[in-house]
Amino acid sequence: MQRPDWAPDDIDIERPSVARMYDYYLGGSHNFAVDRAAARAMVEAVPDAPLMAQANRAFMRRAVQYLTDQGVRQFLDIGSGIPTVGNVHEVAFRAAPDARVVYIDVDPVAVAHSREILADDDRATVIQEDLRHPDRILAHPDVRGLLDFSQPVAVLVVAVLHFVSDGDRPADLLRTLRQALAPGSYLVLSQASDEGRDEAQRVEAEEVYRRTDNPLSVRGRAELAAFFDGFELVEPGVVWVPQWRPETAESAENAERAVFLGGVGRLGG
Amino acid sequence: MGEPQDGQSRPGAFARAWAKAVSGTSYLPMTHAQLEALLQRLTDELANALRTEPLDLRVGYRVGGELVDAHIASAEGLGRTVEVLQLRLVRDLGLVADDIDDRMARLLAAVATGYARALRDRTLDEQESIRRANLAARTEAERALRASEARFRHQATHDSLTDLPNRKLFADRLAAAVYEPERKARRIGLCFLDVDRFKRVNDSYGHQAGDRVLVEMAHRLRRAVDDHLVARLGGDAFVILVERCAGTGDVVAVAEAALAALAEPTIVDGHEVALTASIGIVERQVADASPDELMRAADSTLHWAKAAGGARWELYDAERDGRELARQALSAAIPAGLERGEFYLDYQPLTSLHDGTLLGVEALVRWRHPQLGVLHPDRFIGLAEETGLIVPLGGWVLAEACREAGSWTTATGDPPFVSVNLAVRQVHRPGLVQEVSGLLRRTGLPPRRLQLEITESTMMNTAEEPVLALRALADLGVRIAIDDFGTGYCNLAYLRDLPVTGLKVAGEFVRGLRAPEAHADERILASLVSLAHALDLTVTAEGVETGGQAERLRAIGCDAGQGWHFGRPAPAERFLANLR
Repeated sequence: MQRPDWAPDDIDIERPSVARMYDYYLGGSHNFAVDRAAARAMVEAVPDAPLMAQANRAFMRRAVQYLTDQGVRQFLDIGSGIPTVGNVHEVAFRAAPDARVVYIDVDPVAVAHSREILADDDRATVIQEDLRHPDRILAHPDVRGLLDFSQPVAVLVVAVLHFVSDGDRPADLLRTLRQALAPGSYLVLSQASDEGRDEAQRVEAEEVYRRTDNPLSVRGRAELAAFFDGFELVEPGVVWVPQWRPETAESAENAERAVFLGGVGRLGG
Repeated sequence: MGEPQDGQSRPGAFARAWAKAVSGTSYLPMTHAQLEALLQRLTDELANALRTEPLDLRVGYRVGGELVDAHIASAEGLGRTVEVLQLRLVRDLGLVADDIDDRMARLLAAVATGYARALRDRTLDEQESIRRANLAARTEAERALRASEARFRHQATHDSLTDLPNRKLFADRLAAAVYEPERKARRIGLCFLDVDRFKRVNDSYGHQAGDRVLVEMAHRLRRAVDDHLVARLGGDAFVILVERCAGTGDVVAVAEAALAALAEPTIVDGHEVALTASIGIVERQVADASPDELMRAADSTLHWAKAAGGARWELYDAERDGRELARQALSAAIPAGLERGEFYLDYQPLTSLHDGTLLGVEALVRWRHPQLGVLHPDRFIGLAEETGLIVPLGGWVLAEACREAGSWTTATGDPPFVSVNLAVRQVHRPGLVQEVSGLLRRTGLPPRRLQLEITESTMMNTAEEPVLALRALADLGVRIAIDDFGTGYCNLAYLRDLPVTGLKVAGEFVRGLRAPEAHADERILASLVSLAHALDLTVTAEGVETGGQAERLRAIGCDAGQGWHFGRPAPAERFLANLR
């Protein structure tokens, strides 16, 4: 965060990107050799890593489906990454063709790729910004142009918060976002947890991500629940992501293997 | 939860088993029900193919491709698909044919081939797209870098308030215009512009309002002068560069356009304010110009326009500039002249109109300039007063006069007193009393033989200090005379409060006495004299040039006279000789 505002981000494909590693876990090929090497190292340390990514993606898909069922038509996806299959706008538009989606990502390649994919669709856009600058996100003309903050907006911060260290005050960042939202808005959160994890695995995983721009900050259930401050948690609360409104009973089995905890909160009033 | 779409059969046992086998092998962007519906459709296609003669392998390829398209696109997904098809498809669907195993094997191979092909194509497409995205991101980053560089360049060369080019950009353009070799034959012009009394806008309406006015002025200037470069040098100073001009007329036209544009009233803080500006114009052949010299000349010319009252342009005048430069050079040479002893004193008699005796002499400073010869005070005293050099110079005159006068001797009676001019700055300087009393002590000159001449303007400032100093000097016995009385600050109140001993009436009243019918001057003089006498002051008339004037002054009752009629300024020996 030392770089001045005017300086463009480096495009550094010699350094793994968490967005492209995530794409690799999901079975995509939107990644470079350096990303695959880091992702393989991660799989070596944590064999369930691809499963975690998939479970997360499925959680996000079910959450968006749920939100469109609740009548939400506006989505702000922060940390959207490479628009690998099953992105928010695909799920949202299938359920509600009048929906609006804004993607935010800090990775310039992810943004460029998203831009290409969304080029023909004026219901969705992408901007390059950092979750750690919620004020800039909220003030961005493209965000303001597409989303109406007097109406409910679903903010998705899925599989991102573990890349935000406590020093960056994630609770404050979320509060800033919350304060911009109208009643009836939602917050969707998920992040890697250290609950019930093997310490050695955690250390190895952290080692892998230290090579990226985004070191890992794992958190427990209580910390994640605290991030929903000001929101009412929707049933079943903060759970292992496969347990969040599963489609089949068996898909929620061995849910703790997904490592990710997640939940959805509604802004009352 | 997704439901099977219309027109599709409900998933059978085989499709459900297939869905169960592949779920979890990769991320599937669909509900489980959607997956089962998809696999049921593919099951139906495969079953049809197995039943139809001849066996159409393209169905197998297509099914493989569709699996990949539906993101059932992992190695495990293919493995489990092969397994479940091989083990259960024929059995579950109850397919019966002699060569069913053979057909199944060929179809399965086609599915695997189609799958592998599609997966490879998808991989290549995705790699291509991520490379394109990378390239786009790089291009964007470079564009942003270039934009920020351009922004920095602009900031470095433009004024942040008005966005006009700044001093640096102007200096660069001027240097380029002057130094490029092929431009030597061309002419160049500069308009150095300054808003008149702009400080009043800031003082009256605040600096923010002042800034808004400057922005407005900058805007108008830019519009008024076409494509000539307008730069803001800082404050309310602007400069216009007129390149490739045909002559003075071109630059004057630009200056007039600029003045006209600025003359339109401006709304400041709701008030309509009319501002004017002054412009110094320099125009010459590029070959004869240097950037520094052009700027200096334009600056000087601007000051002439200001001095003439503003709201005008003034054209550079080399002769006038030369004179001013010479004046400046002269003032700069005063300290060295003092050090080298280039100054000396002449004395002019102050003669009694009653009996013609020599009462005193006025010390007048001369400068024996090494290049310019002997210079009279009118050439350098004004400069010395402007620059503050009057303090050391006046101090030297006072000391020298005391020293010389202290050594004068006469055959009978007191030698004449010496009268020395004190500049305003000298009177206002602390330590004057100590300076004078020290001089008197060191030179042995009796205080009554020293007269200090101060001007009326010295008393304009009602500050306590100078009055106290003069009173202390008077208490020592030093005479205090008001010089040039009647031409300046004609407030008579100070005569009541000050320890003044005499008035010196300016020569212009005396000059009027030449004409026989100059009654007005004579009456003024007569009243001055009676006023002075009423206050117990002596009156000395300056500029007495003829015997007739002397005669009339005596008739009026004037006490003393000074002027050519009584004697020109000369070295002390000249009049001392007569007294011995």
